[in-house]
Amino acid sequence: MIEASWIAGLGVILFSIGLLGAFTRKNAIVVLMCIEVMLNAANLNFVAGASHYSDVDGWVFTAIAIAIAAAEVAIGLAILLSLYSTQETISLEEANLLRN
Amino acid sequence: MGDSKNEWELLVPIVPFLLVAPSLKFLAGWESVEAAFLIVVVPLLTFPAILVVGQIYNGNETWKQRYKEGGIFGLGALSLSLSIAIWIIYDYVVGSAHFEAHSVVDPFSWLTFDVIEQTGTQWEVSTGFADIGVGVWIDSVTLMLLFVATFLCFLICWFSLGYMNTDKINEDSNHRFYGEFVLFAIGMFGMVLADNFLWLFIFWEIMGLCSYLLIGFYYWKDSAAYAAKKAFLTTRVGDVFLVVGLLMLYDIYGSLDFAVLFDNPSTGVGGAVVESGELNWALIMLFIGAVGKSAQFPLHVWLPDAMEGPTPVSALIHAATMVNAGLYLVVRMVPFVDVHVNGVAGLEEFALTVAWIGGITAFMAAAIAFVQNDIKKVLAYSTMSQLAYIFTGLGAGLLFLNIDEHHAGYFVIGASMFHLFNHAMAKGMLFMASGSVIHEVHHAHDHVRELSEKYSTNEGDDHGDFDPQDMRNMGGLAARMPVTATAMMLGSMSIIGIPLIGGFWSKEGIIAETWAACLHEEPLMLVPAVLVLATAGMTGFYMTRMWLMTFAGPPKSEVVGHVHETTPWIKEPLIILSVITALGGFALALLGASDYLGDPHHAELSYHGLLDTLEHAFLPEDSYLRLVGWTTMLLAMVIGPVIASRIHGGRLIDGVEASPLVSWLVDLSSRFGSQDVSELADSQLAEALQRRLYFDDLYEVALAKTAIPFAAFSAWFDANVIDGVIKQIESNSATGSVQIRRITTGSARDYILMAAVGMISIFALLWGVSN
Repeated sequence: MIEASWIAGLGVILFSIGLLGAFTRKNAIVVLMCIEVMLNAANLNFVAGASHYSDVDGWVFTAIAIAIAAAEVAIGLAILLSLYSTQETISLEEANLLRN
Repeated sequence: MGDSKNEWELLVPIVPFLLVAPSLKFLAGWESVEAAFLIVVVPLLTFPAILVVGQIYNGNETWKQRYKEGGIFGLGALSLSLSIAIWIIYDYVVGSAHFEAHSVVDPFSWLTFDVIEQTGTQWEVSTGFADIGVGVWIDSVTLMLLFVATFLCFLICWFSLGYMNTDKINEDSNHRFYGEFVLFAIGMFGMVLADNFLWLFIFWEIMGLCSYLLIGFYYWKDSAAYAAKKAFLTTRVGDVFLVVGLLMLYDIYGSLDFAVLFDNPSTGVGGAVVESGELNWALIMLFIGAVGKSAQFPLHVWLPDAMEGPTPVSALIHAATMVNAGLYLVVRMVPFVDVHVNGVAGLEEFALTVAWIGGITAFMAAAIAFVQNDIKKVLAYSTMSQLAYIFTGLGAGLLFLNIDEHHAGYFVIGASMFHLFNHAMAKGMLFMASGSVIHEVHHAHDHVRELSEKYSTNEGDDHGDFDPQDMRNMGGLAARMPVTATAMMLGSMSIIGIPLIGGFWSKEGIIAETWAACLHEEPLMLVPAVLVLATAGMTGFYMTRMWLMTFAGPPKSEVVGHVHETTPWIKEPLIILSVITALGGFALALLGASDYLGDPHHAELSYHGLLDTLEHAFLPEDSYLRLVGWTTMLLAMVIGPVIASRIHGGRLIDGVEASPLVSWLVDLSSRFGSQDVSELADSQLAEALQRRLYFDDLYEVALAKTAIPFAAFSAWFDANVIDGVIKQIESNSATGSVQIRRITTGSARDYILMAAVGMISIFALLWGVSN
């Protein structure tokens, strides 16, 4: 049985990778993928906690989070499509319509 | 200008209004008192109707010709009020079984206050303690004033149909005039009928508003706008005191109902004994309100300027009705003072104050009237002076009542109310007659100008320096305007107090009783007594002067030759009021009106006998009073008019005829020789009188030194401190938001960074707290 702290550590690493990617990448699709990575890092922590404490709540949370993530990705991709159709780019450098 | 015979058919729309009172009596079986509310309610419905319909049909020919821009509807509503008023008066005087000494109708309660009371150390709310009802209060004074108000409103509305609707300057704005006229009538009728001081005050203010609106009827003229503001603000000074007085009365008695207050004025709220100290101040506060409304010294400055309004307004509001409101308020104080029935003793100073203010105003106004050349200004000062007579009489009456000389007290209060009646009738008519003169001179001048324009190219100059109100442009009008000249002669005689005519019967009583108060009771009454006696002679002078300058002598301008008395609707009210002025005073004196109006509990209108009445007037038992009476007559009838004749008298030019009585008077005026007064006219005294004894200048300086700097300071404080704080907050927010806006870059990456930093800070914080 792997220690819960190892799994939590893996979550932290995955989250950091995702956060870093979200900061640094210009391509919106990559950023979206990074956000998925962060979400799944959080899910991993839930699962680790659930198995550590033998509590079913963590599983439930994970199931809900995955469902929400799916919906969120659908919306995110729709926004990107819309962005591309209007701005002809999905580079985050150039998309700054919310400025000021 | 149309032919007056063809215009009678225009009166058809007022017939249904006239039928209301008889049908209520005979078909519906109402009591007259039950219908009293209609006196106020019908004009209340008519007033918005005239304004709205007038706005819709403005400029429409039928509306203008057949309905006189609303005047016919106003006349209808006022005729209904008049008919119901006469019905009530008939019932009351004949002594219908439904009237007691005071008859109070209380159909429903209107306002209910929660009153917070202190019981011991606790404050408690008692529900419905103060209950202000809507009711009608009727006694002989109410009815007299109700008759004066309804009758003169009706006649002056009639007069306005001729005066206002034939003048081009008023075209298409007459509905405003009639609407405000009817609104004023609501105020006056309501104030007279009100059965508690709160309603009295509300209607009092409605009148104040209408006075303002109607003085400013020609609002595009600066002088009219100024006069309206001056009248409104000056009376407002009095009204503030009036409110304070009402609050003090409420504090003492816990009610403002006449029924509660007059029932037992010596017992206050909760059975406490009323001390004269607080009541004295309450009454003085109310009296200051009355002084403002009735244009007495020192709040008299607004009345002469109020003559900027159209002449019917001057006749109605500023001579015959509204200015009587102050007198009515003082008469309502009688129960507080009357120690014979439950009054509070120790109010002699208050009574003296009233008499002194009256005496001073009477003398001062008469003196200023000496030098006025504007016909309406003379009448305005005369009004002020005559109202002051009534105040003096009331002061003497209150004094008598407060020292339990109730016979003399009731008599002089009755005489004062009787003088109010005589004065209102005569002065209403004098103003209408002056309006007739002004109107015709104005038209004659238009005519003359048209003639001269045929021969000259000079045009555009409307009236130039010609003032149709200036008596120096008149003279010799007796031949051109017979009805007006006779009416004005009778009115002036009534005001002067020529024996047997109108005001003689009441004025004599006031002067005699003021002297009686001085000689028998209170030496301090000497000042008002001397002043009113002197004023009697001065009245004789200035009224004669006004009449002679207008009607006697050779014409003073070419315009006079073109004057014709042809405007319809103007003559009838003059004739009716001439008859009332000439005979009404005598008739009422024969019926004992002074006793009746002063003591409504006991006296009745009954025939007193011709010889008794004459003897009472000319040969009173008290030899002092006989002397005073004959001195008054001598001053008013002989000395004043003769001096005026010497200065202003003169025959008409040859070849013109006037009616016999008028031409006899004109001839008489030329027989006393003539006197040159140019030296006196240039003196400093005349200058001071011309400048109205510098009261206006004084008030202006006083305001410039106090109110205006205070207003300037307030404006500065508002702009810099109150607004300043808010503006500072606003500009700080603006600059702050510019800074904050800079961090919203629109880049998703920055937002993610911010979210991450925020999240990490929260974790750090939680970590720190949990350790």
